[in-house]
Amino acid sequence: MSQPARLPLFESLLEASLPSSGIAWLDAARQENLQAFAEGGLPDTRVEAWKYTALRALGQRRFATVDTAAAAATVDPARLALPGVDGMRLVFVNGVFSAELSRLDDMPAGVTLQPLSQALRGDSEALRFSLSRHYREPGDAFARINAASARDGVVLRVAAGVRIARPVQLVFVGAATGSELAWHARNVIELAEGAELSLVEQHLGGDEANQLATLVCDVEVRAGARLQLALLQNAASGCNLIRRSSLRLHAGAEVGMHVLELGGALVRHDLQAELIGDAARLHTRGVFMPHGRQHMDTQLAIRHQALNTTSNSTWRGVASDRARGVFRGAIVVAPGADGSDASLGNKNLLLSASAEIDTKPELEIYADEVKAAHGATVGQLDERSLFYLRSRGMVLAEARALLTAAFCRAMLDDLPNEPLREHLSTLLLDQLPMA
Amino acid sequence: MSSQMNNESSGANALRDNAGVAEVLGRTYSAGFITDIEMTGLPPGLDEETVRQISAIKGEPVWMTEWRLDAFRHWLTMPKPDWAKLNIDPIDYQAISYYAAPKAGPKSLDEVDPALLETYEKLGIPLHERAALAGVAVDAVFDSVSVGTTFRKQLAEAGVLFCSMSEAIREYPELVRKYLGSVVPTGDNFFAALNSAVFSDGSFVFIPKGVRCPMELSTYFRINAQNTGQFERTLIVAEEGSHVSYLEGCTAPKRDENQLHAAVVELVALEGAQIKYSTVQNWYPGDENGVGGIYNFVTKRGDCRGDDSKISWTQVETGSAITWKYPSVVLRGDRSVGEFHSVALTHHHQQADTGTKMIHLGRHTKSKIVSKGISAGRSSNSYRGLVKMEKGAEGARNHTQCDSLLIGKQCGAHTFPYMEVKNPSAIVEHEATTSKISDEQMFYCRARGISEEDAVSMIVDGFCKQVFRELPMEFAVEAKKLLEVSLEGAVG
Repeated sequence: MSQPARLPLFESLLEASLPSSGIAWLDAARQENLQAFAEGGLPDTRVEAWKYTALRALGQRRFATVDTAAAAATVDPARLALPGVDGMRLVFVNGVFSAELSRLDDMPAGVTLQPLSQALRGDSEALRFSLSRHYREPGDAFARINAASARDGVVLRVAAGVRIARPVQLVFVGAATGSELAWHARNVIELAEGAELSLVEQHLGGDEANQLATLVCDVEVRAGARLQLALLQNAASGCNLIRRSSLRLHAGAEVGMHVLELGGALVRHDLQAELIGDAARLHTRGVFMPHGRQHMDTQLAIRHQALNTTSNSTWRGVASDRARGVFRGAIVVAPGADGSDASLGNKNLLLSASAEIDTKPELEIYADEVKAAHGATVGQLDERSLFYLRSRGMVLAEARALLTAAFCRAMLDDLPNEPLREHLSTLLLDQLPMA
Repeated sequence: MSSQMNNESSGANALRDNAGVAEVLGRTYSAGFITDIEMTGLPPGLDEETVRQISAIKGEPVWMTEWRLDAFRHWLTMPKPDWAKLNIDPIDYQAISYYAAPKAGPKSLDEVDPALLETYEKLGIPLHERAALAGVAVDAVFDSVSVGTTFRKQLAEAGVLFCSMSEAIREYPELVRKYLGSVVPTGDNFFAALNSAVFSDGSFVFIPKGVRCPMELSTYFRINAQNTGQFERTLIVAEEGSHVSYLEGCTAPKRDENQLHAAVVELVALEGAQIKYSTVQNWYPGDENGVGGIYNFVTKRGDCRGDDSKISWTQVETGSAITWKYPSVVLRGDRSVGEFHSVALTHHHQQADTGTKMIHLGRHTKSKIVSKGISAGRSSNSYRGLVKMEKGAEGARNHTQCDSLLIGKQCGAHTFPYMEVKNPSAIVEHEATTSKISDEQMFYCRARGISEEDAVSMIVDGFCKQVFRELPMEFAVEAKKLLEVSLEGAVG
């Protein structure tokens, strides 16, 4: 519909094509996605999926490709530590695997965790299905460029019935290198039948890191497997992070997800979940807290495709200063997906006259034996609650901070990892505008 | 019980085996007849000449012709909208005849073609006595030209102007010029631009300052001549402190070709004025296989221009093959109020993408949206709404409630609400649910000896009550009946 936009960003991404991987199907897939990107261009706001996220300003910038030497920028390992997260760790600096910062010793039996670049040197055929994907939607520009340009990422597999007790940590660091970088990472995660895993994905960055990062993550959760996923996005304030996760839940699979969006400049998170097996369950909680001039766009798309599937999503947004928060929560119940139970809620607080919240919960229902409900609100703190606190001697600013904190913190309440939960709560409180 | 319920609620398919019900299913559209009177009109096709001809036939002043031509030129540059959740077969705009009118231009009711009057009789439109009894003034539009207007005198005494748009352009050009296109500009959207270029007729209402309109105003539109798109244009202006309630109802004769209907309705409420606009829409929806039916692509918008004004839309949509309609309110004046109450029912292969927009500009503006969607058969029913709080909308409030009811396994019910908030003191709330008629509800009714069909219609009536309450009494009765008729064959 829209003409490809020949913007500097577009040109600079197009120039950054990769050298041959030596794997014919992978080169072909990269080439095809690059071609699709070249033809489709960057989406403008007439493309529904990008209606509230204009890429005009970003589109005027050029980003250099990563050279591996620049990627070895110094990162203090202490910054990577997270309370309650003591399992294996895989670290990428500017999209390049860092062996020094990673922790891959004492890998439990039944687990494969390695950088994509290594995995491709081994049995690359196992990755073919994921890495040969074509992205066909008009809004898929960044997924296409990721597919064409990602040189590394995470490959994580847990064998059938294996339960991993200690949380696995995936860290993506955006480190300042003096030039504006673009980097791309591609994750492929699979939990085989009955496997259990707790996973923490962490984004952080140096102060001066002006970057464009794309991340595409495929997560396959096989029958009866259980995944706990926590995402802590605390990227550098100059980092533009475009992230997409696609989850597929097979019969009886369970995924619990907690997302905390704090950092970055322009942040986009596409979270797509397909409940393809009977009785699959998805539970998501998220908070986005844009401040300053941040722009945070969360796009949740949940598809119920099997019998008796359940999804329950609650997301909260707090926008202050000149920031903008965007949320779309779409639930589709496909024909025949009887017994689906879908609920989605999005509540937002608008704290400043120059901030903006745009929210759009959607329901598309094609089956009749369903329970589906959604709700969304945008507003301020409840006057009565404020009055209650003030009548007990709390000053206004304090009362507001307390209520805002409670508003967001509620999203972390059911995160099972307690030390991590406390840590995330602290981070969240620190970012509150009135704290 | 539950499996029996499933079988029965799976709709028409299961019921086709049942001979008794087959008869009900086969019941034809009761208002489907074609009046055989001679039509004069323009041949199919659309270019600048067509627009000029329409304007000339209607004896319009030059500014009006230019206005139409501007709209037409703009229309040529516009892409067809494709964002709605609708499957629309391509429309050949050159195959449509843009003007049809009864042959002899009648000067009074006595001169009206008797066949035409007979049609009104069939439809039950009370042009003479019954109008007086009902206390309703009727401006009946038969295809494109108004043929009779009653109660003009009584309204004139109150100072209310209620006439056809062509007459208004002749008699009150300054008023028309001042307000026409001021709410829906000529280039607002594809179908509004088309309407602006070729609109044939419609209604004009002007309520002067401080006047409370002595009766409910009503217009029945009826699409007739084959291949003639009906392009009405309605303009209602309520001056300071005035009050009007306007009723619009539609039925259309049965035929097989899709007919395009692209109306524009503009409402202007000045300070303290109130406009209530109610619609019962029952155009031919196509047959049970989705053949035929009206394309209903309507732009309706109200402008609460003055402080403390109020505009309220109430609609019951049961007809049309495809509905694309979003009655909106621009809340410009401080403390102005916008309301939208809607029941949209789709059956067989009908498609509806309907909803509202509430644009809050003024301080302490309020809006309320209640939307009830009912899908049956293989139909698709979407609610699409926008609530926008602009920077100046200090203390503005919105509440939206949006419920869908599914009857059968092959239909779809969708909800697409957009909320855009730029003012931190504004509050926007949206709630939506989708469900089917529960087995418990059905069991309760059946256990009390209520037949399955009656139970469904009772439950549906209850589901819609909140909206029906907003309708003027005459319409509320009609609306309830309409739903019953429209749902026949959906459930046992």
